[in-house]
Amino acid sequence: MVLLSNLNKMKIKDKEIDLVNSLKGLLCISVGTAFGLLVYGIFLYFHIDIFGWNLGLIFAPLAAGYVETILANRILGENVGAISAFVLFISTTFYSFILKNPTLGVNIITAGSILVILQAAFPTLINYILLVVLGGILSYPLNGLKKLVKKIEEIVAKRPILFWEPPEIKRDKIKPYDEIESNRKINNLDFYFITSTDILDIKHERIGVYGSHVILDKDNKIIHTNPEESELKTLNSIKHGKDECLINLCEKIKRNGGNGIINLEIEYFLAGLGGDCIQISATGMGINIHD
Amino acid sequence: MILTSSNTLENKEIIEYKGLVTGESLIGANIYKDLFSGVRDVVGGRTSRYEEELQKARDVAFESMKDKAESLDANAIIGLKISYDNLGGTMGNTILVTAYGTAVKFE
Repeated sequence: MVLLSNLNKMKIKDKEIDLVNSLKGLLCISVGTAFGLLVYGIFLYFHIDIFGWNLGLIFAPLAAGYVETILANRILGENVGAISAFVLFISTTFYSFILKNPTLGVNIITAGSILVILQAAFPTLINYILLVVLGGILSYPLNGLKKLVKKIEEIVAKRPILFWEPPEIKRDKIKPYDEIESNRKINNLDFYFITSTDILDIKHERIGVYGSHVILDKDNKIIHTNPEESELKTLNSIKHGKDECLINLCEKIKRNGGNGIINLEIEYFLAGLGGDCIQISATGMGINIHD
Repeated sequence: MILTSSNTLENKEIIEYKGLVTGESLIGANIYKDLFSGVRDVVGGRTSRYEEELQKARDVAFESMKDKAESLDANAIIGLKISYDNLGGTMGNTILVTAYGTAVKFE
């Protein structure tokens, strides 16, 4: 009976001690919370923030937990779990994200901020979710993708290799200009093309200076895949242009009663903006040769 | 085939004017050749490769002219004119070489 009575007394005493310790713990939490709020107030007052994100959200819970832990170690000889840090985290988040900024939008910055706050408040839980749960979930589709790639590799490896030969591109070869024939035509126009300055032994009458001009488009490509072909094309174009120029000159003089030209000059220039064209000019003294 | 830039042939009588004969050739847009001749120009050396090309181009123009004169049954070309014209190109090295004159028959 005495033993029972002593046990009851001890239980009552333990309960009294627990109550006192609980009150001491509550005091530590309260002091820690008050200090944390003070720190948060200072951060808010002095606008200590980065990109509008107040640093008090991080430092206030840290300060609260630190003060609470030091106080608890001195009074109780053990820590009480940094409960004031949680209190500060919840209160500052509520104040800054809901009361002060009710227009907070649903965007990537909000989501990122929430994640950072949660990470700071519950590091073990969030790290577990991120590394273990999310990693585990992601491994399933990645594993499936790996299997699919391997399957495709096996199918491709089994298929016979097909050789594809590109079709031969047939290019029309540029024909050289038939100069002999062209020259024969020029000299069969019943017209005298004379390059010398005079024809001393033939009686003739001078009818004036005549000229004819032809403008050709120039190939302005910087690099040619086939330079020889390009040269031949340009040369053919120049020869054709020269013949055209001489025929025009002949017709012009014929219209004015002439049948020949002396001191014939054929000139080639670059013309147009930036020398985009080739100008061919044929000039000379129109004459009328008497039979 | 006699070639002369004068109006007459010394000690020879022109009996017939056969007509105009021309010859053209082009030193063209070969970028590699142009680049090397450009290097020679910078260091100050003679671009002998280019001189060879010019000579070759002139010969081609002359041959073309002579062939035409022969086809007209001429045995001389008088009033011969030669010109070298720059037609631009990659480094301004596309040169047109032209030669022309009057094909004649002499005795």
